[in-house]
Order: sequence, then C-alpha cells, then structure tokens
Amino acid sequence: MKKNLFILLIVSLFTLLLAEGLWAKVYIDIRSPSFRKFPIAISPFKAPISANEDLKLGARTTEILTNDLAISGFFALIDPRTFAENTVRGHPAGSPSGTGQIPSAPGSGIIDFRPWANVGAEALVLGEVAYKDRSLTLEARLYDVVKKELIVGKRYIGEITDLSRMVHRFADEVIFALTGEQGIFQTKIVYVSTAPGNKEIFLMDFDGRNVNQITHHQSICLSPRFSPDGKKIAFTSYKAGNPDLYIRDLRTGEERRVAHFPGLNISPTWSPDGQRLALTLSKDGNPEVYTMQLDGSQLLRLTHHPAIDVSPTWSPDGKKIAFVSNRGGSPQIYIMEANGENVQRLTFEGNYNTHPAWSSRGDRLAFDSLLDGNHNICTIQPNGSDLRILTANLNRCETPSWSPDGRHLVFSSTREGGPHIYLMDAEGTRIKRLTFQRGGDTYPNWSPRFKE
Amino acid sequence: MFKKSSLWLVILIAVVACAFIATGCAKKQVVKEEAKPVVEAKKEEPKVEAAPTPAAPKEEAKAEAPPAEKAKEEAVKEAAVKEAAPREEPVKEAAPREAPKPEAAPKAEEKPALLDLTGLRIQFAFDDYNLSNKSKENLEKIASWMSKAPAAKVQIEGHTCDIGTSEYNLALGERRANSARKYLEGLGVSPARISTISYGEERPLVPNADEANRSKNRRDEFIQSR
Repeated sequence: MKKNLFILLIVSLFTLLLAEGLWAKVYIDIRSPSFRKFPIAISPFKAPISANEDLKLGARTTEILTNDLAISGFFALIDPRTFAENTVRGHPAGSPSGTGQIPSAPGSGIIDFRPWANVGAEALVLGEVAYKDRSLTLEARLYDVVKKELIVGKRYIGEITDLSRMVHRFADEVIFALTGEQGIFQTKIVYVSTAPGNKEIFLMDFDGRNVNQITHHQSICLSPRFSPDGKKIAFTSYKAGNPDLYIRDLRTGEERRVAHFPGLNISPTWSPDGQRLALTLSKDGNPEVYTMQLDGSQLLRLTHHPAIDVSPTWSPDGKKIAFVSNRGGSPQIYIMEANGENVQRLTFEGNYNTHPAWSSRGDRLAFDSLLDGNHNICTIQPNGSDLRILTANLNRCETPSWSPDGRHLVFSSTREGGPHIYLMDAEGTRIKRLTFQRGGDTYPNWSPRFKE
Repeated sequence: MFKKSSLWLVILIAVVACAFIATGCAKKQVVKEEAKPVVEAKKEEPKVEAAPTPAAPKEEAKAEAPPAEKAKEEAVKEAAVKEAAPREEPVKEAAPREAPKPEAAPKAEEKPALLDLTGLRIQFAFDDYNLSNKSKENLEKIASWMSKAPAAKVQIEGHTCDIGTSEYNLALGERRANSARKYLEGLGVSPARISTISYGEERPLVPNADEANRSKNRRDEFIQSR
C-alpha cells in the first residue's frame, strides 16, 4: 500500500507540475504563420493636469500609440466609438503629480473589465499625461482583460518635446509583453531630400515625425546608410567637388571624409560588426566593389570584372555580399562570398534589377525591379526562388529598406508626386505615406534598434 | 490490498482533474498587484539617448574637430546646425552651362576662336556609353580646338536619365565621361588636360518627364576648366 501511495504521489506531483506549465499565457504567437489579430482597446489618454489645453496631450498620445500598434500589424484595434461611457469611467482617479510622488494606483477593483470584454478587447491600455511646471509625465498601463490583471505599467518623466519618444517607448513595452519580440517604434529613418533646394540628408522617426535636416553641404548628398549601432551614417557628398565618402556621427555632428579616391566613392554599406564598409570605387579604372576599415585603411578589392559593380549590401551573418552588376549585359543582382569569391546571379526576371537590401532575418532580399516600364519593389529568397512583386500597382517604387525586425519596408514612390517616402509591411500591404515636405524624398534607410 | 486497476483509476482522475484546472477556471488573483503602482518612475532625460534630435544649440556645442591622423581622413567641422524648417528659397534648377569666358585662355598665347563647348554636348542611348558618329564629330572639333590652344583644359561631365538607382547611374555617367576621354586622348589630346566627373542622374538638363526628355539627359557635357 505504501508503495502504491508513493507512486500516486509522484504521479500527481508530476502532473501538477506539468499543469503549471499550461498556466503561462501566450498572447500573440508571432511565429505562427497566420496568427489572428489580437484585439486590443486603447482608452483615450486623459490630460487632467495640463498647463495649456491647446497642447492636446491626451489626444496626441492616443494617436501616436494607436498609430504604432496599427503599423505593427499584430492587433485588431477596437473602434473607440464602441467604447461605452462607463468603460472610460473605470479610469484611475488619482493623477500623477509629477513630483515623483506615487499616487494611489487603480486596483482591479476600480477597473471594471466587463465593458471592455464586451467590446471584444483582450487587452486594454489606460493612461494619463500631465504637464506642469515644464515637466511632462506620461503614465500608461497595459491590462489583460481576460485575467483582469496588469501586464506592464510605466511612468515617464521629461520635457514637452519628449512626448512622442515616451509613447514609442511604451509601445515597445506593449509589443515585448505580448509577443516576446523587441518593438521598432523607437527607430529612425534617414533619407535624401531636395527640400532645401539641393540634395541633403534628413532624419525622421520611423512614423514620419520629428523631421530634421542632418547635412548642410549645399552640394549633392547621396545614399546615407546607418551603422549597425545606429550612431553613425556613411554617405557620399560632392561637397569637395568629387563624389567622396563621408562618415557622420549623429550624436556629435562630427563628420570625416573617409574615402576620396579619384573617380567614384559611392554606395557605402556597413559590415554587420560595424568595423568595415563595402563601397564602390572606380580608382582602378572601373567601378568595382571594395571593402575597407572605417578609417580608409586595409582596402580590399572584391570584384575583378570589367562591368559596372555597385550597390553592395552585406548579409546579416556577414558571410555574403549582394551587389548590382551589368556583367550579364544589363543591371542585375548578384551574390558573392564576403571575400569576393563565388559570384552567383540572383535575378533573372526583367532587364533592370538594382538596390538590393538584405532583411535582418536573412531569409529575403528586397530590390528595385523595372518591369513593363515601371519600377517595383520585389522580394526574393537568397537562393533565387519565390520572387514576389510587392508594389505592382503603384507608381515608380524604388530604393527599399527593411525594418530591423524584417516585417516592414520603407521605399520611395511618385504615386502622389514627390517622390515621397512610404512604409508598408513585408507583404506589400498597409501602405502609409511618411514624408510631406516639398521637393523629392528618396533613398530611405531604416536604422537598427538603438541600444541604450 | 490496492488493486492495480484502482491505482490507475486514481492516477487518471488526478490527470484529468489537473487538466480541467489548468484550462478552465479563471485564476484566482490577489489584488495586491495593483496596489503596487506603475512599475518604474523612470526619469526620461531627453539627451541621454542615441536619438539624434536634440535642440540645435546642443549639437553645435559638441562638434569637435579631431586631429587628422591618416592622410585619407579629414575632419570636417560643421557650421551652425540650421533649423528643421526648410528655407524659403525657390528650388534651384540645373542652370544651363554658360559658354567659357575668354579670360580663361592664357594671355601669353594666341587666343583661339571661342568654342561653344555647350553646344558640343554628346548624347548616348539608354544604359549605353558608346559614341555615335555625331558624338565623334563633336569630339573631333574639341580636339582640334585644344590642339590650337595648348593651355586649354576641359572637364567632361557624365550624366544619365533618372531610370535606375543613383548609384548605378553614377557609374554609368562615369563610363560616358570616360568614353569621351579615351576618344580625345586617341585624337592626341594629352591626358593631363582632361578631367572627368560623373553626376549620374543628379543634374538633369531637362526634367525627366518623358522619354523625349530622358534621352536629352543621357549626355556628356564639356566645360573649359582651369
């Protein structure tokens, strides 16, 4: 009998432990090929303490957060018009004082989750913004409506100009809590714009806000590329009378000219470890792909063909480089080992395939393909299979760049004049315009996630 | 005393019971989690991050010029960072090339007949850098003029239409400039008197609105240089 009881005990214990594992909730399984969109409600942020009503802090916060979560593609955002009045009343009564004093937080007894569950929400965001004595405080909380519990809550304190940054930071928290993956809402996009009258390099948030002019060369600036740590950009400029290569530190504003050989010093791209650049030089009589250290030393020539070889881009694992060559008679995309060996052609459709961009996931390249007289963004696997045309119905889509999570692309298009910079997901849907300046915006490049 | 079948029955019940508990009921939750307020009071210092959008004065103060260590590097100190709003200026169009001024020719030499190098620009076919017969004629005129003005120098600018990427077109423009250079050298012009630069698609002659205009932009321009 004792022996049987012992066995029973062991088995029960084992079963209980197993059952315990089933308690951990998987909110959004992003690895699943067709996950359903996760229903989330964002209750409009309130701004009970605001030095100025016209700041519209609550509405702006709600808009930025809603936009971020919509772009991610993971969510079904519950229409705010369906929110019953009493759901909004279930909002914390205490307001942040902004002095570091922690107010009484809402207990689950104060928040009535049932109205939210009734509109179909499985998660809920509540929050407040306060602006007093030139200090901005944002408090935001993400709740599990089904389990009726807090998932993550944050409070941010800063200046009025930090509002979007705070919201993006919280949006990243939401993504991480629900998917386990890092969000992209604090990333940036660098691009070329003729808004000042000539081509200069501009920087903006990934969602198009906070546009800033970076260069003032009063010449021609081209092809900016973020370093893997996001701190620097490499680009070409005619400032000194020739297309030379520069590196600029975005934090300090310091610029260095790192390559000024006779002829072309163009189309820079960074190695994944950030130690080297690949670029095209024509100093030896022909545009060829070279690599070099950031200070211009250790120059290594990779291509040895009389054709034009330009636009190199490294694979995320650093082992291969894709580039454009017309060695086959027309511009096509090729892939070679990072030391220049074993050149293989990647694209065979159409007569003009340029601007390869390798996804950070390593599984696809995006590029610009001229088909039937129109430029399209296409993606393809590194082995040349599964070619997809993403922008077949849009005007002149060019120069694609991937988001750090490989789920989105930015590109330029003339569909509404410009051209302007647009955002879409990796399947070519949910296209959103990002730039609204005068002139033309081209050659966007998406930053990595910035490390603190 | 315990039969084996009874034991298995108990185990089965235990497993089923645990399965029910795990999947079915709402977890009993103690409210204490909400009694703790928002997790972090995180002081957001605006300038602490890599986000490159600080106010203009701060960026300016940090621009240092590091010493140039290698011959190939140069420290370029930025002037005052301007505001984000674009200046209210008309968009500068590519200005048509002016004819070279007579002052450029050396005074000690006999001045040759003024040659309108602008009018001698040569055209190319799409994605091509071969010289047509008309192009060769123009180059022969240039070579002839240069032989009569031994101190004259010429810069050849290579241009393209806007089809394709900037980068590919920079390379193609260079090819076009080099085609003209080689032909001039073949006609006896000393290489030291010829310089080349590619502008790719960056300086169109006319807007790339249609194929007629695009074909005009596929060209080399000749400019008298010092």
